[in-house]
Amino acid sequence: MIAAIKAPLIDWSALAPFTSLTVGAVVVLIAGLVGSARLRSWLVPGLALVTLAVTAVELLSRWNHPKVIVSEALRVDNLTVTLGLLCVGAAAFAVILSLRSDTEEGVGRGEYHSLLLFTTIGMLILIAANDLVTIFVGLELLSIPLYVLCATELRREHSLEAGLKYLIVGSVGSATLLYGLALIYGATGSTSLPKIGVAISDTGALTDPLLLAGMALAIAGLSFKASAAPFHQWTPDVYEGAPTPVTTFMATATKAAALGILLRILVGPLLPAVDDWAPVIAVIATLSIVVGNFGALGQDSLKRMLAWSSVAQVGYLLAGLVVATSLGIGALVFYLVVYAVMTLAAFAVVIENERTSDDGERLSGFAGLGRRRPWLAGAMTVSMLSLAGLPPTGGFIGKLAIINADASGGWMWLAIVLVLGSLVSLGYYLRVIATMWMTEGSAEKTPVVKQAREIVAVALLAAAVTIAAGVLPSWPLERAQDVGQTVISSR
Amino acid sequence: MELTLLLLLPLATGLLGAVLGNRLVKPLAVLGGLGTLGLAVGLALNYDTALGGSQFTVDKLWVKPLGIHWALTIDGLNLALVVLTAFVYASVVVACALREQENPRLFYFHLGLGASAVLGAFLAQDLILFVLFFDLMLVPFYFLVGQWGTGDRVGATTKMVIYTLAGSLLMLAAAVATGALTASHHGQHVDFLISNLQRLPLGKGTQQWVFLCFAAAFLVKMPAVPLHGWLKDAYKSMPLPVLALFSGVLSKVAAYGFLKLALPLFPDAAASFQDLLLGIGVLSIVYGSALAFTTNDARLVVGYSSIAQLGFILIGIFSLTSDGAQGALLQMVNHGIVTVALVLIVGVLASRAKGSEDLGSMGGIAMGAPVLAVVFLIAAFANLAMPASANFVGEFLILKGVFDSVTVVAVIACLGVAMAAVYMLRAYIRAMHGPDTNGVEQRDLSLREALPILPAIALILALALSPQPLLKRSEGPATAAVIPAAKAANIDPIQTATAAQGKR
Amino acid sequence: MLNSYLPAIVFLLLGGVVGTAFALMNGIFGPKTNRRSASKTSPYECGLPSDVQQGFRFGISFYMIAMLFILFDIEVIFLYPIAVKLKEFGAFALVETSIFVALLFVGFGYVWRRGALSWR
Repeated sequence: MIAAIKAPLIDWSALAPFTSLTVGAVVVLIAGLVGSARLRSWLVPGLALVTLAVTAVELLSRWNHPKVIVSEALRVDNLTVTLGLLCVGAAAFAVILSLRSDTEEGVGRGEYHSLLLFTTIGMLILIAANDLVTIFVGLELLSIPLYVLCATELRREHSLEAGLKYLIVGSVGSATLLYGLALIYGATGSTSLPKIGVAISDTGALTDPLLLAGMALAIAGLSFKASAAPFHQWTPDVYEGAPTPVTTFMATATKAAALGILLRILVGPLLPAVDDWAPVIAVIATLSIVVGNFGALGQDSLKRMLAWSSVAQVGYLLAGLVVATSLGIGALVFYLVVYAVMTLAAFAVVIENERTSDDGERLSGFAGLGRRRPWLAGAMTVSMLSLAGLPPTGGFIGKLAIINADASGGWMWLAIVLVLGSLVSLGYYLRVIATMWMTEGSAEKTPVVKQAREIVAVALLAAAVTIAAGVLPSWPLERAQDVGQTVISSR
Repeated sequence: MELTLLLLLPLATGLLGAVLGNRLVKPLAVLGGLGTLGLAVGLALNYDTALGGSQFTVDKLWVKPLGIHWALTIDGLNLALVVLTAFVYASVVVACALREQENPRLFYFHLGLGASAVLGAFLAQDLILFVLFFDLMLVPFYFLVGQWGTGDRVGATTKMVIYTLAGSLLMLAAAVATGALTASHHGQHVDFLISNLQRLPLGKGTQQWVFLCFAAAFLVKMPAVPLHGWLKDAYKSMPLPVLALFSGVLSKVAAYGFLKLALPLFPDAAASFQDLLLGIGVLSIVYGSALAFTTNDARLVVGYSSIAQLGFILIGIFSLTSDGAQGALLQMVNHGIVTVALVLIVGVLASRAKGSEDLGSMGGIAMGAPVLAVVFLIAAFANLAMPASANFVGEFLILKGVFDSVTVVAVIACLGVAMAAVYMLRAYIRAMHGPDTNGVEQRDLSLREALPILPAIALILALALSPQPLLKRSEGPATAAVIPAAKAANIDPIQTATAAQGKR
Repeated sequence: MLNSYLPAIVFLLLGGVVGTAFALMNGIFGPKTNRRSASKTSPYECGLPSDVQQGFRFGISFYMIAMLFILFDIEVIFLYPIAVKLKEFGAFALVETSIFVALLFVGFGYVWRRGALSWR
């Protein structure tokens, strides 16, 4: 009887990361409803972590087995695997970092973790999208749970404000993207990325104003999500207002997903039009570097500062995208991963400091941290040095790779902008380091709260990886270039 | 392999000490310092002078996708500087171990990291590797000043870092551009090995801005006069042993960078900017000297005299003659050793004058401290390039080189020699002689104080007696470094070299 | 080309004309007296004075249930096309639909358990 089932061909093993995440999200949601609060407090995060671990393994098994699945809606290739792993990892660390937050008070644990898993599915779909419709579905599935997650600290006004702000601005971004996608469809007559690529190659140079407008709108829409200037205004408020583990997740995974799909569209079907979009991206990159770095100067809230700095970092990343070669994309992917790791370290330290002191999120709360908790301050120091692009960290190698790609691709001025931006960024990164190590804490308060070992461990692990990426960058860089190669050859 | 070990030894011992705890940190650091020195001296003794060229070479592909090599070597150009670095590091570690530090674990870690980075910069044969170490050098000193400094240490260290990194980051972009543009200029893939890049020079137009970026980084680091704004505050707040390391070797990396990178890689640009850099050098000599004899701060006398001395080194290099380059190289070594001695002596003087480093609060210390007086005098004489000191030989060679290439500059630079005598002797007299009006403590050098200073003094004397071994090793590579640029500038670098041979 | 837009244009015109006509006819045919009576100036001009007091608020549960109703209502709509074409798709569609319905039930169970259906 089973044989009689007339099913479309579905590659279940390639689809496995998506299905397992979905099942996990549902199970976690249900698990949040059973048992006592005590049971839930470890069962729900535990199940979420198991789900993410399973997904990670499934993703890993797809490395170097590129496949287009679900009627060409999804493409599971090395880019999907790499950035998917990044997002899944970010989600797992978000779970770990929020183990001790009092979510029971506001939104229940089940909802929180379930939403986190759902938004991760959205990211995976977005990164793997091979069709304009899939892009939009992925983006919405990414965004909507994230709006809610921003507002999960119901008792805090800023959290609600962040959620609402993100909802409104995010919707504008989605609408812009949707309009852009519609125009691209109108111009090329297909929603499938490969077919769009063929249509564009056939017509040759981009002269169709419809297509140009569509491309511009799509870039703008995704820039909203990646918070690249001039579409970044929401970033500081939302990053500050959202619960810090959610901010961590947004700063790492959302950016990776948005840049991933930007990469897939621009270097995929739109590659023949590289001369049309590269200047646009270069301008966005320059603006982001300038606006982000100058915005971060003089911020007293660490979360706001990191938000501005993330705008600048997106600028650096886009500088790698401008050079649509495997060199540039490799640099972009490598720096994206390093950026995620060093940002994770910084936010983990902020979370731990928030727990143990009253003004932990303000710069003043970091005064004397080097004396009180040298390991924690050490992790933060590594993160700041890496974000600033100083050796011997992954940030240095990443910037080096991007500068190298820019210089080889004839974008020397962009490399200079990047370097000058890094110089400005020292003004605020060093300020954090100086506050931790070179000023005395206002009063040596004995921490009322017990130190959270797992958060410190995350911070130290991320810092160690940051250093490792700076000392032994060969292997990850080669893998990153593999990814670049598959993206270019997939079209 | 030996070179990798040499490079990593200070860092490894520092790191080990930081991890293992307070009790082991000092012995480990001292062990690291002496071990580094021993290793460096051993390598120098094993360096086959007759053979010359690069020896003990390590060359592994480090970052394959970017073509960056872990390439280290010792040649005639960096041999003396590597030994100098190891020597200064050992002295500084010993000096530090004899006093108490707050948070010693991190202190020695940063110190070791700094020493490793400097060694790396001297040894590196890959352009990017050099830049990496050049940038890395700054990080530990940022902490050393900011955490263990005095006065407005945070402001001072921030200023220092921003100044220095402004240059370094431009150099980073320029270095990457050198590789990338060389590849596109010659239509073939190249890595960043300096020897490979040297074979394929860039186009003349590109050389100009790339050279300027490199020059900016080096001139800030030295520092040379219009770019020396960070020096005063940083020197004022740096702990003295740290200052000895900083002033003794870090500025030499910049001067070495000119010889190793800027001249061979961008000969046309070096030739066309020769006048500019000679001008900066002369300005540094005159202005640095003037600052040195107007300040009352013993520490700043040393600092400003460094500006003047590095001005000499700069004009020596940009005379684009073999003599000038050799003199510059010798002078780098001399100045490194003398600075260590002088900085540590300033510390001793301050301890006699109730902790004040103001020359006005000293005076008459020599009465009860003959050994200290002699030691200070030797260092001072060496610094003012007294005939018979190795500094004299160095400055003589520099001036001779400059005289042969741009006479006017040499004439002005000669003023600097006289001014050096003025500021050094003024500092010496103010501190040591005269009536004791301030109630200074007239105590002689204790063993504890003498231990790190005396080796430096001994080395000064040894070099004064016989600078020849040093000159012999550096002659070939120093000449080779200036030849391409000299050709571009239509200067014959060798004509003077043969004349110098006759002199010796 | 423009032909395909003709129905839309006709529709727009018709809508405009009818709307305007009704608005004007009121004034023309209605009683001319007593223009400013209380019922006339009230927000809902449907003849009856409103019972609702100013401070009145709908219970939050009303919104909650209305929202959930819309959600489940719309999801049920998805079942309709499958029902129509079930024969063509065969057992696969049945399995798919069962999963879909099961997920709906999970959602329903969640809503119930969280207490969104109990009137407060």
